[in-house]
Amino acid sequence: MTWLVWRQYRAQSVIAFVLLVAFAAVILAGGAAVASHWHSMLVACSGRSACLQQLSQPASQAVVDAIQVVGLGVPAVLGVLWGAPLVAAELETRTSDFVWAQSVTRTRWLTVKVGWLLLAAAAWGGAVAGLITWWSGPNNALNANAFRPGQFDIQGIVPVGYAVFAMALGIAAGTLTRRTVPAIAIVLGGFLAVRLVLADFLRPHYMAAVTTYYSVTSSFTPSGAAWVFRQGGISPTGQFSHAGWGDVYPLLPAACQRLISEGPVASKSGPVSTLLSCMQTHGWRGIATYQPASRYWPFQGIETGICLVLAAVLIGLTFVIVRRRDA
Amino acid sequence: MIDMAIETRELSKRYGRVSALTGCTVSVPEGRVSGLVGPNGAGKTTLLRMLAGLASPTGGTARVLGGIPRQDPAFLADIGFLAQEIPLYRRFSAGDHIRIGAHLNPRWDASLVRTRLAELRIPLDQRVGTLSGGQRAQVALALTLAKRPRLLLLDEPVAALDPLARRNFLTTLTSAVADANGSLTVVLSSHLITDLERVCDHLILLASARVQLCGDIDALLAEHKVLVGPRTDTALIERTHQVVQTVSTASLSTLLVRLGGPVIEPGYQAEDVALEELVLAYLGAEDASAAARHLTTVGEDS
Repeated sequence: MTWLVWRQYRAQSVIAFVLLVAFAAVILAGGAAVASHWHSMLVACSGRSACLQQLSQPASQAVVDAIQVVGLGVPAVLGVLWGAPLVAAELETRTSDFVWAQSVTRTRWLTVKVGWLLLAAAAWGGAVAGLITWWSGPNNALNANAFRPGQFDIQGIVPVGYAVFAMALGIAAGTLTRRTVPAIAIVLGGFLAVRLVLADFLRPHYMAAVTTYYSVTSSFTPSGAAWVFRQGGISPTGQFSHAGWGDVYPLLPAACQRLISEGPVASKSGPVSTLLSCMQTHGWRGIATYQPASRYWPFQGIETGICLVLAAVLIGLTFVIVRRRDA
Repeated sequence: MIDMAIETRELSKRYGRVSALTGCTVSVPEGRVSGLVGPNGAGKTTLLRMLAGLASPTGGTARVLGGIPRQDPAFLADIGFLAQEIPLYRRFSAGDHIRIGAHLNPRWDASLVRTRLAELRIPLDQRVGTLSGGQRAQVALALTLAKRPRLLLLDEPVAALDPLARRNFLTTLTSAVADANGSLTVVLSSHLITDLERVCDHLILLASARVQLCGDIDALLAEHKVLVGPRTDTALIERTHQVVQTVSTASLSTLLVRLGGPVIEPGYQAEDVALEELVLAYLGAEDASAAARHLTTVGEDS
């Protein structure tokens, strides 16, 4: 069986491998340049972030965007090109009648084929994710944003989960519809929908977010690459406001409002700390709600786990259909 | 007792509300080459796919080579199935298919395919998609035979072939049957009765999703006669024999009957029947009764 799988996919594997090597070459060459640039910038500014932000960015936004598209798109492409036709194309060209008439049960045929293709998805997804993770190293260190959407999705082990899920979705959709083209549509729609639901609705809640209160006169920054949902001030009655005077003003007690409208803050002669002290006297506190940086890997594990469970359900469905339905 | 390669009892298949095959009870003894005939949509493909284990029945039972058709390597190894569309991987060469077969079958006779295709001058290294229809059918048949099956199920494999390719295909089939020395049973569906006459010794006739005839061709021919006589009341004949078809002219009646006893009808001359005549009579009778049923239904409706 393995030989048949290899014979069926060898040309595509070679093309996919060449593309991967090309991507690796771009990433490694570009990444090395970026890393050395960052390094010299860090030395020049000796770590002062204000100084760093004034220097030109080493990688143009277009390059960053392109890499993000590759990172997000590779799983879907694998699901479309390899997953959707796995069963559907055999049924469409009736080659299922040839291969299922050999002395190999459909279950065994499907097991070997699905096994190798899921492995391929994990390998390619993992290789691309590994390269992007390496490339993002300096950026992660400096901007501490690896936890943010758009970064979290293309680094670490999550892309492997997505690749396996997209492959399983393609296989199941092709088996269900018996046609490649509708299956491709299902992969694209389904993958996008699942990604959207996971990233926007579920991911923030994998673990209960941490809320820290602090004095408004002091400052607070969650350590490391934390994922901050909101940060600002909170009134004694529990009204939240982002740290912008326009937002805060209507919520302030009259005594503090006066400081802004006619007092020292308005005339810019007095320090802002007068106002902050006023707020503190009236019971205002600083508040930050966030996922601590230490949860990065647990979150990666949870999201990968969700993808793998979904993939397992889809593959299970595929087996039931292929075994039960008439060929 | 003769071992039956195929034995079905009231085998039925429904697709939703459509009945593809109803109450099909047939048996094919081991070593026979059985022709499966019937009009389009009679259920030939459905029957063959159920026997091969590719489709499961919605009613009745099938026993094939002593067991129920199932997903089991040993059972699959015994069955050679060739579907109507001659399914092969169009981008693969015949050589690729031979290697696939070697990986997927326990007793694979690669040299058999190679020899056969060399005899027919079919290249092993060319994509099968670029071969002619006749060559593709030969490749597919050779591959099916290389499995060394005990039962060969062929679904209209010659339908799309020109006369010469058809003859070559049937020659390959006949010599395979001869080589197997009685251990290979074949069921071959076709529209072409002359082809079946050349290779088959057994017949299954399906029409309107039902079995009309099933048996050894010699026996079937022996139990049918054509009676030619004056156009009179045929009630007496119908009492002993089953009249399959009646063709009448002004003075003469020609009756194709299934014998229920000795032919003693005075004034009637009994003639032997040819296979094609027999098959057409049954298909025609089925047509007539279908038409009659249709008329009745129409009458009821209005």
